[in-house]
Amino acid sequence: MARVTIPRLQAPKPFIQRPAPVSGLLAPDRFMKIVGAVLFIAAAVLPFVTATPYIISILTSAMIYIVLAMGLNVVVGYAGLLDLGYIAFMAVGAYTSGILTTQFGLSMLETIPFVIIACIIAGVVIGGPTLRLRSDYLAIVTLGFGEIIRITANNLKITGGPSGIHGIPTWSFFGWSFADGLDIGGVHFSAKILFYYFVLFVGIGVAVIAVSRLGKGKLGRAWKSVRDDEDVSEAMGINGYVTKLAAYIIGAVWGGFAGTLMASHLSAISPNSFEFLYSALVLMAVVLGGMGSTPGVIIGALFVSLAPEFLREFSEWRFLLFGVLLVVAMIFRPKGIWPANAVLPFLKKREIPEIPPTAAVGVVGVDASYEGETVGPATPTGGANDEEGAR
Amino acid sequence: MLQLIWNGLFVGSFYALVALGYSMVYGIIKLLNFAHGDLYMLGSFLAFVVLGGFTGLFGLGSIPVLLLVLLITMLLTGGIGVAIERIAYRPLRTSPRLAALITAVGVSFTLEYAVRQIFGASPLVFPIRLQGDPVTILGARITMPQIVLMVVAALLMFGLQRYVMHSREGRAMRAIALDQKASLLMGVNVNRVISRTFFIGSALAGAAGVMAAAYYGTIDFLMGFVIGLKAFTAAVIGGIGNLYGAMLGGIVLGLLESFGTSWFGGQWRDVFAFGFLILFLVFRPTGLLGERVVERV
Amino acid sequence: MISRAHSRARRFAALGAIAATAALVLSGCSGGLAGDGGGASSDGPIKLGMLAPFSGSEAAFGDYMKYGAQLAIDEINADGGVDGRDLELVTEDDGCDATAAVAAANKLVSAGVHGSVGGYCSGATLPTLPVFKEAGISMVIPAANSTALVGQGAFLINGTGIQQGAAAVAYAEKLGAQTVVLIDDNTDYSVDLANSFEEQAGELNLAKRESVNPDEKDFAANINSVLSANPDFIYWTGYYQAGGLLIDQLRAAGYDGVVLVGDGSVDAQLAAIAGPAIDNVFGTFTRTPDMLEGGDAWVAAYKELAGADPGPYSMQTYEAVKAIAAAIDDADSTDAEKVDAALLGLKAFPLLSGDLTFAKDGSREGGGFVIVSPTGDNGAFILSDDLA
Repeated sequence: MARVTIPRLQAPKPFIQRPAPVSGLLAPDRFMKIVGAVLFIAAAVLPFVTATPYIISILTSAMIYIVLAMGLNVVVGYAGLLDLGYIAFMAVGAYTSGILTTQFGLSMLETIPFVIIACIIAGVVIGGPTLRLRSDYLAIVTLGFGEIIRITANNLKITGGPSGIHGIPTWSFFGWSFADGLDIGGVHFSAKILFYYFVLFVGIGVAVIAVSRLGKGKLGRAWKSVRDDEDVSEAMGINGYVTKLAAYIIGAVWGGFAGTLMASHLSAISPNSFEFLYSALVLMAVVLGGMGSTPGVIIGALFVSLAPEFLREFSEWRFLLFGVLLVVAMIFRPKGIWPANAVLPFLKKREIPEIPPTAAVGVVGVDASYEGETVGPATPTGGANDEEGAR
Repeated sequence: MLQLIWNGLFVGSFYALVALGYSMVYGIIKLLNFAHGDLYMLGSFLAFVVLGGFTGLFGLGSIPVLLLVLLITMLLTGGIGVAIERIAYRPLRTSPRLAALITAVGVSFTLEYAVRQIFGASPLVFPIRLQGDPVTILGARITMPQIVLMVVAALLMFGLQRYVMHSREGRAMRAIALDQKASLLMGVNVNRVISRTFFIGSALAGAAGVMAAAYYGTIDFLMGFVIGLKAFTAAVIGGIGNLYGAMLGGIVLGLLESFGTSWFGGQWRDVFAFGFLILFLVFRPTGLLGERVVERV
Repeated sequence: MISRAHSRARRFAALGAIAATAALVLSGCSGGLAGDGGGASSDGPIKLGMLAPFSGSEAAFGDYMKYGAQLAIDEINADGGVDGRDLELVTEDDGCDATAAVAAANKLVSAGVHGSVGGYCSGATLPTLPVFKEAGISMVIPAANSTALVGQGAFLINGTGIQQGAAAVAYAEKLGAQTVVLIDDNTDYSVDLANSFEEQAGELNLAKRESVNPDEKDFAANINSVLSANPDFIYWTGYYQAGGLLIDQLRAAGYDGVVLVGDGSVDAQLAAIAGPAIDNVFGTFTRTPDMLEGGDAWVAAYKELAGADPGPYSMQTYEAVKAIAAAIDDADSTDAEKVDAALLGLKAFPLLSGDLTFAKDGSREGGGFVIVSPTGDNGAFILSDDLA
C-alpha cells in the first residue's frame, strides 16, 4: 500500500514581516535589568558615601519591606488571592526566630529551617481549607487569621505576652556574628552596616530575583492563568487548588523570612507591630506599585516604607492619603504605578517598521472585516494568496 | 446562664443590623463592602454632630429625641452609602472582583481617617446616655434601654423583611441578585435598585451606630472596624446574601461570643470567634441558610 | 549567540565603570564608612534627644513631654547651663511604633545627641535601647515603665509596674478587700501591671483575672464572668477609654464595690465617659504637680511656656532632664559610662515629686505612688490617700 501523504495543516504565515525585537542595551528587558543592577550597586556603594545610622536604619527597613512585598506579590499579584492578613506570616517568622534565639540559644541562621517549617505549616493550615472557597471568603479568613495570630502572640507566655520579645541577636554564621564587626582594607564595617549588606544581598538580591524568575517560570505562568480564569486553566490541565496553595505557601515563607530579618533589625518585637493596619500597608505597596510587576512592587514598597520618614510632619495624614490613593488608583490606574507589562516610554519592544502596519493590512482583501477602514493599496507582501488557500 | 444568653442576644442584634447591609450588598453585586462597618462609625459621629447642633431645640436625654436623631442619621448615612457606591464602586462594576475589594478597603481607610482628622483620635463622649434601672427576669439583669434598642432593631429588621420580600422594589432587588443582565432586559433599572440597596444597608448600619453610641456612651473613629469584621463573620455564618441568614448569624455570633468569654476568658474570645468562622467555612461554606452558589469570575 | 555574549561583555564593562566610580567616591568622601560618620561633638551645646509620640493615638503625650523637657532646659540654661555648655532639646516622633522608633532613634544618634530623655510607649522604647547603648548615649526614660525596661541600662523616672502594683496591693489591704479581681486590656503596660499585682498579692484573695478587648464597647460578657466571682475590689489596669465604659457597665450590672484604676486611666476623661457611675473609683498614680507643695509655681511656669496646662508625664520629663543634667555636671563628661555612674550616684536628688534615688537596675527607688480619686472639678483626679 502506497503511503498517502496527508498534507499537514500549517499555521498561516504572517501577512507582514514582524519587525525584529530591539536588541542591545535598549531592549526593554535588558534595560530594566541594567537599571536594576545600577540601583543595586548604588545601594551597595551608599554606605561609603553616607553611613549615618539613620540612613542605614531606614534603608534596611525599606529593603525588608521590599522582601515582604515581593512575597505578597506572589499571592496577590501572581495568583490573584487577596490576602488581608499577610503580616501574620511575618509574625510567625519573627516570633519563631525570636523565641528560638532568645530562649533556646540558636543563632539566626539555625532558626531559618524552623521558620520555613512554621510558615509552611501556617500556610497549609490557613490556605488548605480555605483556598477551595470563593475568593472573597479568603480575604476575610486571612483577616481573621491575622487577628488570631496577633491575639495568640499577645496571650501566650512563650511569646512574651503583650510586651513581646526583646534582645533578639543579629545574624551570626558559625560563631562569627555581625556584632563582631569586620575590617576590610582599613574600613571598619559595624554590625548595622553588615546587616544592611546582608539584607541587600540576601534579601533583595536573592528574593527579588527569585520571585521575578518564579513569576516567569512554569509555576508562575500557572499562577497567572489561574488568576485570570480558573475554570479555563483547569481545563488546560492545571490543578488550580495545588497551584494556589503553592503560591500561598511560597508567599508565607517569604513573609516569614522578612519577619526574621525584621526581628533582628529591630531586636525587639511585640504583637502591636502585626496589626491589621500593617497588612493593609503591605497590600497597598503591592497594589499601588502594580500587582505582579517586580519594578512596581519595589517602587510601591519603597514608597510605603519611606514616605512616612520623609513626611514625618504629615504622618497624621498618611492613612487618609493611602485610602484615597487606593480608591483613585483602582479607578484610574487599576494596574498600579508600574503595571506588569509596562515599558518605559523611550524603550520599544520592537523596531518600528518603516511601512506603517495599517498599509500592510490592506492585502488581506477582506476589507469589511476591518471595520470599513479604507486602506490604501500597499505593496502586497508575497504569498498572501497562498495563505488564503491553506485556510 | 440566662444572663449569658441575654447578653449574647443583645450584642447579636447589633451584629445582625450591620450584617444585614453586608449581606444585601453582597447578594446583589457580589461585592464585599469592606467600608460597611465604617458607616456604622459614621452614623454615630453624624448623630453626635446633629445632636450638637440641635441641643437647644430638643433638650437632652429623652428617647423621642434619640429616635428623631436616629431617623435623620439614617437618611444621612444612607445618602453617604449611595455616594460611595456612585463614586467608588460603580466605575468598577465590570472590573475584576479583586479591584473592587481593594477599593472597598481604600474607602474604609478614607472614612476612618477622615473622621480622625476632623474629630481627633481620642474617643468622644456621646451627649445622650441611655440609663435605666435593671429588672431581673429569671436571673438575668435586663435594662430598659436594652429592651428599647432591641425592639427598634427588631422593627427595622421586620420593616426590611417586608420591603424586600413583599414590595415591587424588593422583587427587583431579588431579581438582580439572581441575574443582573436578565433583570436589565426585563426593564429593571439596575443602577437605581443598586443605589437603593446601598441606601438601605448604610442606613441600617448608621442606625446601629447611633444606637450603640447612645447605649455605650463613647464614639471613636475605629469603632466600625471590629464590628464590621464581626458583622461579616455573622453574615457568613448565616449564609451570605441571605436576609434571614444575616439576622440568624448575628444572633448566633453574639451567643457564641458570650459563651466563649465565659468558657475561655476574654482574651481568647476573638480567637474563638474567628476560629469558629474558619471551621464553619470549611464544613459548611454556604452558611446556615445560604444556598450553594457557583462562583463566576 | 554572538551578539548576546557581546552585550554581556558590554554590561560587565558598564558594571566595571560603575565600580570604579564607586571607588572614587569612596576615597573622596568622609561622611561614609571611611569617615567618622558624625557622632557627638565635645563642644557646643549638649544635645538631649527625646523620642515621643507626636502622631498616632497617643499624640497628645508628645507635646506634654516636649514642653516639660523644654521647661527644664530653659531653667538650666538660665542658670548658666551644664559645665558652661547650654542644653538643647532635639525631639523625634516615634508614633508608638517599633519600626518608626528605631528609625527615629537612629536619627537622633545621627544628629549627635549626648543623652536621651524620651520614651513613652514601652513597646516602642524597648527596641531603641540597643541603638542608644551602642552609640554610647545615656538614657533616662520619663514615662515608659514596663518591667522589661528594667535592668537594660536605662534609668526610669516613672515608677515601674512592680511599684504601682505594690501600691495597689497596699490599698486593697488597707480597705480590707475580701475578693479581688484584676481586669487588663491586653496591652503590654496593662498586663504588666496586672502581673505585678498578682505577684505581690500575698494574702489577698485574688479570685479572677479577666482581659477585655479595648477596641470594643460591649464588655457584658467579661463583666458577667467577673461578677460571678463576687468581688468587692476590682483593679482595672488599662487605659481610660475602655476603663470608663467598663466602670459604667460594671455599675449597670449591679457591682457597687471599689474600682481602683491604674495610672493609664487617671484622666479627667474617665469621669466623662463613665458618667454617674464614677462613684467609689480610685486610682494609683505618681504625684502630679497640683498635689505638691510648690507645684503651683511650676504649673504657672509651664503654662507660660506651653500656653496650656501640663499633662501626664510633663513633670516626669522635666525631672528626667534635671536628673541627666545633674549627672552630666557631676561626671564632667557626656560619656555614657561616666554619666550612668553619676546617675547611680545621685542620692536623694531633690525633685518636685520627691527625692530621687536610682536602684542598681535603673528603676526609681520608692516610685512614689499614691491613691487619687476623681472627685476634683470635672472629674479631675486629686489626692485621696498617700499610703503613708
